[in-house]
Amino acid sequence: VTVIVWLIAAGALVAGGFMAAFVWAVRSGQFDDTTSPAIAVLHDDPVVPPRDTDREGSLHA
Amino acid sequence: MWPRTPARIGVDGVMARMLPLHVTPGMPRVSPVTTAFSPTFDSASALAAAPATCRHCGEACTGLLLANAHGTFCCAGCAAVYALLQEHGLADFYTCAPDGVGPRPDDGPASSSRFAVLDDALTSAQFLDGGDGTWRYARFTVPAIHCASCLWLLERLWRLEPGVGTCDVDLGRRTVRIAFRPGETTLRRIAERMTALGYAPALDPDHRPAMPASRRVLYTKIGVAAFAAGNMMLFSIPRYANGAPLESVWQRLFDALNVLLAVPVLFYAAQDFLVAAWRALRVRHITLDVPVALGLLVLFGRSLFDILTGRGAGFLDAFAGLVLFLLIGRLFQQVAFDRIAFDRTARSFLPLSVHVASATGTALRAIDDLTPGDVMMLRPGEVVPADASVEGDGVVDLAFVTGEQAPVDVRLGEVVVAGARVVGAPLRLRVVRTVSHSRLASLWQASSGAHKPPPRLTTLATRFGQAFTVVALGLAVAGFMAWWPDVGTGAQVATAVLIIACPCALTLAAPVTLGTAAGCLGRAGVFLKTPAVALDLARVDTVVFDKTGTLTRAEAPAIVDLQELDDAQWDIVRRLAGVSTHPVSRALAGSSPVDSDVRHVHERAGAGIVGEVAGIRVALGTAPFVERVTGRRLSAVAGRTYASVADRAGWLTSTTPARPGTTSMIAAVSQVAETWLVSGDHDGTMAHWRPLFSDRQRFQQAPEDKQRFVAQLQAGGRHVLMIGDGLNDAAALGSASVGIAVADHAACLVPACDVVVSGEALQWLPEVLQYARRASRVIALCLAVSVLYNLVGLYLALTGALTPLVTAILMPVSSLTIVGLSTGLMRIRVPRFPS
Repeated sequence: VTVIVWLIAAGALVAGGFMAAFVWAVRSGQFDDTTSPAIAVLHDDPVVPPRDTDREGSLHA
Repeated sequence: MWPRTPARIGVDGVMARMLPLHVTPGMPRVSPVTTAFSPTFDSASALAAAPATCRHCGEACTGLLLANAHGTFCCAGCAAVYALLQEHGLADFYTCAPDGVGPRPDDGPASSSRFAVLDDALTSAQFLDGGDGTWRYARFTVPAIHCASCLWLLERLWRLEPGVGTCDVDLGRRTVRIAFRPGETTLRRIAERMTALGYAPALDPDHRPAMPASRRVLYTKIGVAAFAAGNMMLFSIPRYANGAPLESVWQRLFDALNVLLAVPVLFYAAQDFLVAAWRALRVRHITLDVPVALGLLVLFGRSLFDILTGRGAGFLDAFAGLVLFLLIGRLFQQVAFDRIAFDRTARSFLPLSVHVASATGTALRAIDDLTPGDVMMLRPGEVVPADASVEGDGVVDLAFVTGEQAPVDVRLGEVVVAGARVVGAPLRLRVVRTVSHSRLASLWQASSGAHKPPPRLTTLATRFGQAFTVVALGLAVAGFMAWWPDVGTGAQVATAVLIIACPCALTLAAPVTLGTAAGCLGRAGVFLKTPAVALDLARVDTVVFDKTGTLTRAEAPAIVDLQELDDAQWDIVRRLAGVSTHPVSRALAGSSPVDSDVRHVHERAGAGIVGEVAGIRVALGTAPFVERVTGRRLSAVAGRTYASVADRAGWLTSTTPARPGTTSMIAAVSQVAETWLVSGDHDGTMAHWRPLFSDRQRFQQAPEDKQRFVAQLQAGGRHVLMIGDGLNDAAALGSASVGIAVADHAACLVPACDVVVSGEALQWLPEVLQYARRASRVIALCLAVSVLYNLVGLYLALTGALTPLVTAILMPVSSLTIVGLSTGLMRIRVPRFPS
C-alpha cells in the first residue's frame, strides 16, 4: 500500500503546480478584465491585397 | 460568442453614447462650425438639406451640416476624425461594432492648454503606471469608450501617434493602458491625439483609474479555499468509504494532510470574516459576521481537538467547503459597475484650470489657487469654477445648478454661481468666493452630509446576527447541560450545535440574491451602486420625480401654441428659424430645407436670432431681445418665446415632451407608491401634469427645497425614492432612501446617487420596483429554507448524531440549495427590457 504515499506526493505536486499557476495568473492581472480580450480577439485585420502577385501566385488574385 | 457580447455592448452603448464632458443635455450644440457660419448665411452652399445623420458619430444633424466627398458630418471634429481614419487605413472602425458609429470629438473649450498640466512631472506621475528601459506605461480613464469599435481603434493608436506601443483597453472600466517611448512622444501629445479622435482622457481626480487589487486578493483566496477543499475531500474519502476504521498510520497521514491544508484556509482565506467579527465585537456590536466567525473557529478548534486526541477525523473538509461557499458569496457581492462613477465630487464638473488676467496678459491658473478679486477669462462652453461677478454683459446657462432650461442674461456686476456655463460670447468674471466656498461646493456637501437612512441590508444583517448568536449560544449551553454530568458528550454536543448553527446559508442568501439581481438589472440599463440597494428599492413607498431632464428630454422641445401672427407670418418666422441651431428654432422650423433667401442673420446665443427673410425683417427670441432689436414694447410672460415680422409681433410657447412611456410608467408606479413631481422650473406646465400627479406637484423648487421636501416625507415615516438628473437634484438624491439619477448621454455628469438609469430604461421603473420586491421575497424564502436545514442539523447535533460524514454532506448541500434557489429565482422571468 506504500504506493499511496507516492500517489499522494505526485498528486500534491500536480495540484500545487496548478495552484501556483493560478496564483501567478491572478497576480499578473489576467482576471482583471474578462470582457475586453474576448471582444478584441474577434477583430480581423483587413485582408490587404498582396502587392507582389508574382510571388503569391494567383491564389490571392 | 456574439449572442452574448452584443447584448452587453448594446447596454453599454446606450449609457455611453455620451457627449463629451463639456456638452450637457439641454444645451444647444455650439460647435466651432456653427459659430463660424452664423454671422452671415451666404455660404449656404456648404449646407445640405436636413434631416441627415453624421457619417462619423451617427447622431442626427440637428444644426448645420457639413458635406464633403466623404459624406455629411455634424461638425468639423467628426469630419476630421473620419478623414484621419480613412487616411491611415482604419476605416474598419465603422464596421466592427453593431452600430458602427464613433464618439463625437470634443467641441467644447478645445484649447491647446487643456492638457498642458500633463507636461508637469508631478501631475503626469499620477497617470504613470510602471515601465522599463524603453517603455513607460500610462493609465487613463476615457469616459467615451463604449463598444468594440472603440477598443479596436484605441488598440491601433500606435498607427496614429509615433512613439506609442501597445494600448490595452478595458471596456468594463473604461480605462486604457498605453505603452510609450518617452523620447518620442509625451503624455500630453498622446492625450491630445486621443482627444482629437473623440476619446478625451479624463484628468480630474474622480477619474483616476483604480487598480483592481482587491478583486485579485479575493480570487486568490477563493483559489486557496477551493484547492484545500478539493484535496481535503479526497483525503477524507478513504475514511468515509472504507466501511471499517483505517489502519492508524494511514489515518494519521490523512489527518495531518488535512490539518496542513486547513491552516491557510483559516488564517488566509477566512481572514476577512474573522476580522469583521472582531471589529464588530470591539465596538460591542453583533453583526451576522459574529456567528459566522464563531462557527468557523469552533469547527476548526473541535476538529483539531478530535484529531490530536485521536477521537476522530474532525470536520475539516466541511470547514474548507464552508469557507469556499462564503467566499463565493463575497464574489456575488462584488457586482460593481466600475465604469459608472456613483460618488462624484463637485470638482469633476469644474475645469482643472482657467485663464486669469495678470500683469503680463493672461496666465493659466489652477482653480484652487483662485482668490477673490482674480479676473477670469472664460470662453463659451467653459464652466465657471467659483462664484464670480460679471465684468460685462453676457449669457450663462444654469441648467446644472438650478435645472432651469433656458440660458439667462447676466448684467455687469451680477454674481454668477459656480457651475454656470458661459454661452455665446467670452466672458470676464471677477472671483468673489474661492472654489471651496462657492455655492456648488456647499450644495454638494449638503448632499453628502445629508441624513440618509442606513441601508436595509445592514439593519437586517445586524438583527439576524444578534438573534442567531443568542439562539445558538443558548442552545449550545442547553445541550451541554442536558448531558450533564457527561462532560465529554456535553462538550461534543455544544460544539456540534455551534457548528451546525453557523449561518452560512443565511450569509449566502442576501449577497447571492442581490448580486444576481444587480447583474440582471445592469444588463437592462439600471445600474446599482451596490447590490444592497435592491433591498431598499423593494420597500419604496413614495416616488419623487424631478421634471426637467428626468421626465422630459430637454433637447427636443415641441411647439404647442402659436399666437397673434397669421399662418403666412409664422411661415416667414419658420424660414428664419431654419438657420438657427437653438432647440426651439429647430422645433419651429421642422425639417424644411435651409432657405437661401434668408440674409443678414445675426444670432445671439441664449437670446435670439434676427435677420431678413425675402426682404422682411424678422426676429425671434426672448422678450428683451425682440424688444431690443425691434424697439417695440412687449408684455413679456415667462415661458414664452416672442417673434416679430415687420411691424407685427406674436408669441409661441414650447414644451419639452415627456420621454416615451412616461405616462404609463407614472400610472403604474402610482399603483404601488405615492408619486410627487418636484421641479425647479416655472409652473407653466402644471396643468399638463395634473392628470398624473393631480395636486402633488411643486414648482420653482430650489435644490435646498427639494432636499427639505424629501426629508419631510421621510420624517413622516416614508421610504422615499428620488429620481433626478442634475446637480440641482444632488442634495435630494443624497438624502432620499434611494436616489436614482437619469443619464442620457453624459454618464460622466451624474450627481452622487445610488442608482444610475439610462434615459431609455426609465420607463421600466415599475418593473424594476417589482423585481426588487421579488429579490426581497426570494431572500425571505432562502432564509426559511436555511432555517429548516439548521433545525434538522440542530436535532442531529443535540442527539449527538452529527458525525463528520453527515456534516460533510449537510453543510454543502444547504449552501448549494441557497445558491441555486436565489440565482434561479432571480434569473427566471427577468423583466425583459428591449434595448
